[in-house]
Formats: sequence, C-alpha cells, structure tokens
Amino acid sequence: MRPKENIEKFVRVGKPRVTTSRQMDKRTLDDSFEAMEQTIRTKSADHKPSVPRIIFQSRMIKLTATAAVIIVAIGLISLFVHQGPDEQIGYDQSPTKMMSAISLTMAYRRGGIDTLDEQCEKAIRMLGPRPLHLTLGQLLSENNG
Amino acid sequence: MVEDKILVWKFNRGSKDALRRIYEKYKDDLLGLAITLLRDRSVAEDIVHDVFVSFAQTTGTYHLSGTLKGYLSTCVANRARDRNRLRSGQDAGLDVVEVVGSNSDGPMEHAIGSEESGRLKDLLDRLPYEQREVIVLHLHHGIRFREIAGALGISINTVQSRYRYGLDKLRSILNSVVTK
Repeated sequence: MRPKENIEKFVRVGKPRVTTSRQMDKRTLDDSFEAMEQTIRTKSADHKPSVPRIIFQSRMIKLTATAAVIIVAIGLISLFVHQGPDEQIGYDQSPTKMMSAISLTMAYRRGGIDTLDEQCEKAIRMLGPRPLHLTLGQLLSENNG
Repeated sequence: MVEDKILVWKFNRGSKDALRRIYEKYKDDLLGLAITLLRDRSVAEDIVHDVFVSFAQTTGTYHLSGTLKGYLSTCVANRARDRNRLRSGQDAGLDVVEVVGSNSDGPMEHAIGSEESGRLKDLLDRLPYEQREVIVLHLHHGIRFREIAGALGISINTVQSRYRYGLDKLRSILNSVVTK
C-alpha cells in the first residue's frame, strides 16, 4: 500500500516530457502573430480621439470636470436660494409700476408701512434727481390722476 | 514571475518577440498537458495552437492575475474538456504520444523515467476525465486548487474531492497490479 505522498511523488516524477514539432511552432506562431496584428489594427481604427473619450480616460480630467459641474450646480442653487420673494418684487419693475396703487397695496400687505416706505424710496432712487423745471405736483400728477 | 510580468507588459504593447518568448517558454508544458488529458497528439497540438491564437488576440488588454503558466494551462484544460465532450462516445483516438523522457537526467534515470512515464500514462488513462484533469493540473503543472476551481467553475471542495478520489483510485490500481 503506497501512502498518499508516494502516489503524489510517483505522478510528479512520471510527468511526460513532450516537445513540439517545428511545423507546429511555425503554424502556431504565424497564426498568433497574424491574430495579434489584426487585433492591433482593429483597436487603432476604433481609437479615434474624441473629447468624451479623453475625459473618461484621464483620471485628472475626470476629477476636474466633476469638480466644475459641482461648482456650477452649487452656484445655481445658491442663486435661487438667496433670491427671496421680497427681492424679486420691485427691483425689476419700473418706478411707475412700483408707485401704482396695486403695487403699493401689495407692499403694505407684505410688510406693513416699513415695506411700503422702502418701496417708495427705491422708486424715487430709480427715478433719480428731479428735473429742475418740474414741480413735485407735476411729477406725481400721473399717480394722483 | 517577474520575467512573466515583463513579457506580459511588452506583449500588451504589441511586441511579437514577447509573444514568441512566452510561446517558447510554455509550449512543451502545455502540449504535455493537452496530450495527457486527450491522449491524442494532433488534437492536443490544435488545442495549444488555438490557445495561443486566442491569447494573441488579447494584446493590449490582457491583465495578468495569478501566474501566466496557470492561466495558459487552465485555458488548455478548458478547451481540452470541450473537445473531450464533443468526442465523448467515440473512441479515444490514436495514442501517438511522443514521450521524450522524464525530468531526470542520465541514461539509467532516463530509462527509469520513461518507464515511469509510460506506466503513469496507462494509469491516468484509467481515471475518469475530471479526476485526471485535476491531478495533472495540480501535480504536473503546480496549479493550486483554488485556481483550478476558478478556471473550471466549480467549488474548491469539488476539486479537492476529485483529487482525493483520483489518487485513491490510482493507489488501488497500483495495489492490484502489485498483488497480481
């Protein structure tokens, strides 16, 4: 009875030594070289440089592009967050509209007499200095009817 | 191992010389493996040829994990298994194995080695294909059970049990030969 190690040794020692023939070497190498060249040709044809490919192949460019997208997103979000309802109303309107009865009523409803006063000041600032030839009565005649 | 890594690096950059070196280094071992598994030299030569052609097509993308010898050996084993399935039910084919000698040196050792190789070949032929495959991959080519399991797509326990049963069967065959 042979122990397991003896059997393993017997199998190891009995490993056949085989040599390839010249014909086989030539056939295998020729076909392998041909396959290799074919693969290289196909890959070089497929590898036309394009912007997305360059971005996705370089880790540095990928990180930079990601950072740029994040910064732009944060900028847009902060722009919308800081643009409150009070600022949206009034700044992009003309002084005439700001001084209309409806706009003044809305301002009073939003924030009371302080907001109303603030809106009037803004409208006057937007109008600029009063021309010398105009009286205050003439200036407000449009609003007063 | 380092030499293999350098060869693979060059091969991935399209070096034909590296491919030739890899072929020269492992061709005999791979042919021996294919012959042991299939018992048919011409089919074995076709398999080694196909493995190298497929390997050549991976230039530029081949990633070496484990050993190159292990990778090529498992490629040969997988193709040999497919070929064996195809011809199962048919005769095993002509036995034209050209055994040049064993790993020993000197005329006496050579003679003993040749005799051992011939006896071993006869014994291995009597094993089921799956057991022969695992024994040859592990003992002749030094591939670990884990690698064999990964290459064959079976669990490591299955590989170990095939190995154990194969060795037991070899032992029982040898014992019956001795007692006769």
